[in-house]
Amino acid sequence: MLTFLTAIFAAAEDGADAGKAIALGVGGGLGAVGAGVGIGIIFGKVIESVTRQPEMRDEITGIQWLGFALTEACFFYGLVAGLIAFFL
Amino acid sequence: MSTGKRIALIVGGIYLFLIVLAVGAFGWSRLDNDEFKPQNEFKLDDWIGSGPFAFNKAVMYLLIASALTIGTMLFVSKRMRARPNRVQTAVEWIYTAMRDNITRGNMDDAMARKWFPFIATLFLFIWFSNLIGYIPLPTNTHEKFDLFGAQIPSFALYAATANLSIPLALALVVFIAYNVEGIRAKGFGGYLKSLIPAGITGFAVVPIFALEVLSNFMRLISLSVRLFANILAGHLIILFMAGGLAVLLGIEALGVVIIPFGIAIFLFEVGLVATLQAFIFATLTAIYLGGAVAEHH
Repeated sequence: MLTFLTAIFAAAEDGADAGKAIALGVGGGLGAVGAGVGIGIIFGKVIESVTRQPEMRDEITGIQWLGFALTEACFFYGLVAGLIAFFL
Repeated sequence: MSTGKRIALIVGGIYLFLIVLAVGAFGWSRLDNDEFKPQNEFKLDDWIGSGPFAFNKAVMYLLIASALTIGTMLFVSKRMRARPNRVQTAVEWIYTAMRDNITRGNMDDAMARKWFPFIATLFLFIWFSNLIGYIPLPTNTHEKFDLFGAQIPSFALYAATANLSIPLALALVVFIAYNVEGIRAKGFGGYLKSLIPAGITGFAVVPIFALEVLSNFMRLISLSVRLFANILAGHLIILFMAGGLAVLLGIEALGVVIIPFGIAIFLFEVGLVATLQAFIFATLTAIYLGGAVAEHH
């Protein structure tokens, strides 16, 4: 009986560790997917608009970095949430 | 074959050779290390005093960043020359960018004159505290090493902005500043009314107003967590890539494999993220301040 209970508790402990690892994987991985798509869209649109209107390049560059940083931050939200779940 | 290609081949060859050498010398067997706790790298030890007013490494980084912000700008402004040297040119370029792009681009001229010092200080302070975060300083009092008998704390990377409380304090200052400025410009009722976008009438006003008030408070979270998460994640990735992963898993050869990625991430963080996050914080502050007093929502 006792060994059976120990085995169950050990399995539950393993399950908790596995859950933390899944949290880190989902937080980092899915966050990277979303941010990657977003950053790709931003830079694609920047290329499009600069080829259409090369004289607007300076103005577009400023907006481009703003959009890049705002999008990239979403990746870090997921990653930091996953790291907090994993380590704390 | 061109010189660039040859150098690339030689560097790649040395890299592969070092990996093979490390695998040959240490093998590739995993031996989990439970003693090394990566989260301790970001733990704050009380150095002097205790409680909320304790002096720890975050406070030290804060003081260094403030001293650098004030010191460099005063130093440059005291030694202005008609024919600028390289440092003065760089500082003048940053000053112009902060004044014209960040401040004037997002608010009218009267507001820009009033709020430019605040936004410029915010930018420079965040920039300096991000940048000094990438210089290894002897701050890790958990681990000490022996140098001719003296116990010196290990060198560690830490940034004041990698701790949520500091970006949150800055975001609170910004939040209070733009709300007060909006109320001062339009009156309390007028400011609340201006939160509702133009063209919305009837029953839809109530939920839209609630959403807009909520989104104002969400700005507080997004502004602070963006800066904090960017810097913290950057430091963590550098930590893991530059050896932390090899120590954690106990695979020596893995350290050789991933060190180039660590260097690449480090350069990316120093060259782009540190500046970009300071720029974003200052720009969003300017946008919020300009939006709070603008006639149309």
